[in-house]
Amino acid sequence: MPDDRVIVVGAGPAGMAAAVALAEGGQRVLLVDQARTPGGAVHRAPLPGVAPLGLPEHRRRWAALTARATAQASRIETAFETRFAGVDATGAVLLTGARNRLLQPRGVIVALGARERVLPRPGWTLPGVLTAGAIQTGLKTSGEAPQGRVVLAGSGPLLLAVGAELAALGRPPVAIIEAARPFGAGALGLPLAYLAEAARYRLRLLGVPVLTGSRLVEIVPGLEAMVDTPKGPRRFAADLIGLHDGIAPNVSGLGGPCPIPLLRAGDGREALGARAAMLDGTRAGQAMLALLAGRPVPPEPAALIRQRAAQARLARIYARDEGAALDALPPDTILCRCESRSRADLAALGESPTGRDLRLTGRFGMGACQGRVCGEWVAHFAKTRDLGRPRLPLRPLSIADLLAVPAADTGD
Amino acid sequence: MLRLPFTQRGSRPLSGVATVSAEFDVAVLGAGIVGASCAWHLARRGARVVVIDASGPAAAASGASDGAVSVASKKPGVLARLATQSLLYTRTLAQDGPLRGHFHPRPAWYFATTEAELVALDALIAKLDALDGPVRSGRDGGAALLPGAGVLVRRLVEIRGEGHMTGYSAVRALLADPRIARLWPAAVAAIEPDDKGVTLALADGRSLRAGRVIAALGTSTPALFPGLPVRPLAGQLIITDRGAPGALEGALTAASYLIAKTADPSRLPEPPVVIDPLVTGQVLIGSSRVEHGDPARMDFDTILRLVRRAAAVWPALAERRVIRAFVGIRAAVADGLPIVGALPGFDRVLLATGFEGDGICLSALMGREVAAMALGDSPAEGVERDLAALSPARFEPAAREVAQ
Amino acid sequence: MSGAFDWKGAAVPFRAGETVASALLRSGVRDFGPFCGIGQCQGCLVRVDGRVTEACLALCRAGALVQPLEARDAG
Repeated sequence: MPDDRVIVVGAGPAGMAAAVALAEGGQRVLLVDQARTPGGAVHRAPLPGVAPLGLPEHRRRWAALTARATAQASRIETAFETRFAGVDATGAVLLTGARNRLLQPRGVIVALGARERVLPRPGWTLPGVLTAGAIQTGLKTSGEAPQGRVVLAGSGPLLLAVGAELAALGRPPVAIIEAARPFGAGALGLPLAYLAEAARYRLRLLGVPVLTGSRLVEIVPGLEAMVDTPKGPRRFAADLIGLHDGIAPNVSGLGGPCPIPLLRAGDGREALGARAAMLDGTRAGQAMLALLAGRPVPPEPAALIRQRAAQARLARIYARDEGAALDALPPDTILCRCESRSRADLAALGESPTGRDLRLTGRFGMGACQGRVCGEWVAHFAKTRDLGRPRLPLRPLSIADLLAVPAADTGD
Repeated sequence: MLRLPFTQRGSRPLSGVATVSAEFDVAVLGAGIVGASCAWHLARRGARVVVIDASGPAAAASGASDGAVSVASKKPGVLARLATQSLLYTRTLAQDGPLRGHFHPRPAWYFATTEAELVALDALIAKLDALDGPVRSGRDGGAALLPGAGVLVRRLVEIRGEGHMTGYSAVRALLADPRIARLWPAAVAAIEPDDKGVTLALADGRSLRAGRVIAALGTSTPALFPGLPVRPLAGQLIITDRGAPGALEGALTAASYLIAKTADPSRLPEPPVVIDPLVTGQVLIGSSRVEHGDPARMDFDTILRLVRRAAAVWPALAERRVIRAFVGIRAAVADGLPIVGALPGFDRVLLATGFEGDGICLSALMGREVAAMALGDSPAEGVERDLAALSPARFEPAAREVAQ
Repeated sequence: MSGAFDWKGAAVPFRAGETVASALLRSGVRDFGPFCGIGQCQGCLVRVDGRVTEACLALCRAGALVQPLEARDAG
């Protein structure tokens, strides 16, 4: 049955800002998140009794936003430990987990944040190899650095952030392997806040080798990182390896057109980082209010446009040749982690496989993650963008949860 | 000026278009299971054959299908008889032919939970008895016959003698024959027969010549033959994750599926659920029947209804997860029968379409028979009358009325 | 509230609000496929009291039986 709420999916900075903007505009909101607490990846709530990590200015901004949300508690209902399966062609939203409901909201704002890109490498499926972001999530919640030697590798500012957090918790990483060469003169054009953040990370990482222009080319069992540096090969024994090759919007599989307003916000629309996410959440909330009232949608705020420019500069500073790294991968490198399908399996499909060939015969993208991890790399090797229509649900749905959806929601 | 029956654009002038140099005995339009089977049979008999598809092999219903090679599910009469012949021939092609390793015999089960379904199971048994063929009903009883069946199941009927063939792998196997030329992605914009052959105009401006054309276009049939009563019939499908291999060895189908084949599907009280254990270890749960052709029109309401009934009948499904839900489009014909045979008055243009999800099952026989038609041979003994019932001639008077 | 759950016969301690993946990793268990940490990659599937779920999303419950998945039955 029709619901007078707007559903906001994701209670990170973008989703929270969108919910606040909607509620302050008089609109009732259902704010949904798969985690047990708000915060998303960047403001991940620590476990009870654990001191929060992260930079003070980030924490202040988040505290101010959550205070505004608290003031709107009568209009913002929250549903944590609840998964969003997507919006279907009728505009219905399926939620499962702590709540199992099929709802017909007035509109939906999807603020699912970013996903980490991780280039395939020989050995990237070994136990002890995680994404750098997964290691960071662990730090932020538990307030503890993992036991043993940690190597961080790939490319992007997150490697420095995670390294600095490990150091702050008393267990600095063994090495940080960065494919780009980000510390040249180009960095000086960045906003002051970015530079201050980077300087603080570098200070904490004193004594940690940060190898730039270097690639982790293979991980061998027993966990050893084989690294190509400009000065020749090096090896680092590790207990845990954190990989990270940048971020991208986490949007795959949102489905086709639907009859209600559906907006994306934050890193899930355009991966511009936490500062921009909050601005973009507010923008999306106000845009939704305008759409529902039949008013013209306001333009993007200037601050958001400045953040985009800063991120573009950051991307140039972190420029590296990913295509060459991919093309150098040995044939037996696993691309599809779910179904253990390799580069050679893909090559066996012929010169220019169709999306159908890739999925049905190659079984790329047919496993539990539905190609959300390997899609970009399969597309590179298959030289196609046709990996098929993104399919609902966004995440696998437990059938037991589906059976708990009230019959009234389907009109039975 | 030439006007083909059932088309609106057969008369498009083709002069001045660049020509693909090769000339073929037969051009097969559509690389689904029916087109692939036609092409393989033609190539085997020495014909120069090209397969043309707008996207690629098994891009529509053949790729989305559950792959049942089933007689029990067919409408009584013509289709059930043809399915019987096709099943026997599929077994032959799987023994020492191109389908080796692609056809797997397996049992099937039909269940009833309602009064109407109990009656439909009686009709199913009677149908198979009357056919007196290789597919027979086996055990018949309550839920206890099949360990794992839910308590709501009032009656189960076992079917013996059927099998399963995964559509996309069978298509690939048939088209792997090196004697078959392939042309995709290439959409055919118009076909124009003359005294000596047929000119095919491709949407990209090229054209080619063939002695005859077989249009095995499935859901794309209306694009070239808008006068034929072929319409899209969408079905939502669900794929689960892998799980411990249960007791289910073959598909478990609601008797309402049999009713849906003969009655208005929108009036069915219970969704015509099929629970099909896939070779990958995943389970396919299908399928709704709604009249539209939009593969993006997925709705959670239908998914929930299918899942509820499926889990009531096979409770172990509650331990699985849905990893993918999608819409498959079948090509359905107004009278429920496929369209197979030459266009009236134009024996160079043959149709093999409108199989409404039965293409996998009927493809072996249809490929052989349509190839024979294209080469001017008469049909195999015993299938003549049933094949004649599928001729497009049955729509001709109505189509002429529309044209005038 | 904190407690412990069972993993291959061993008691794995956890803290209130912690995910199964976090508790396993802190106990030095690494071979359950953890990777992305946000539920996307589906690598860290486990059975919690019989139900398949992502270890990185599932919250720990005292006394729960957490089991690795049978080989390759995830997809």
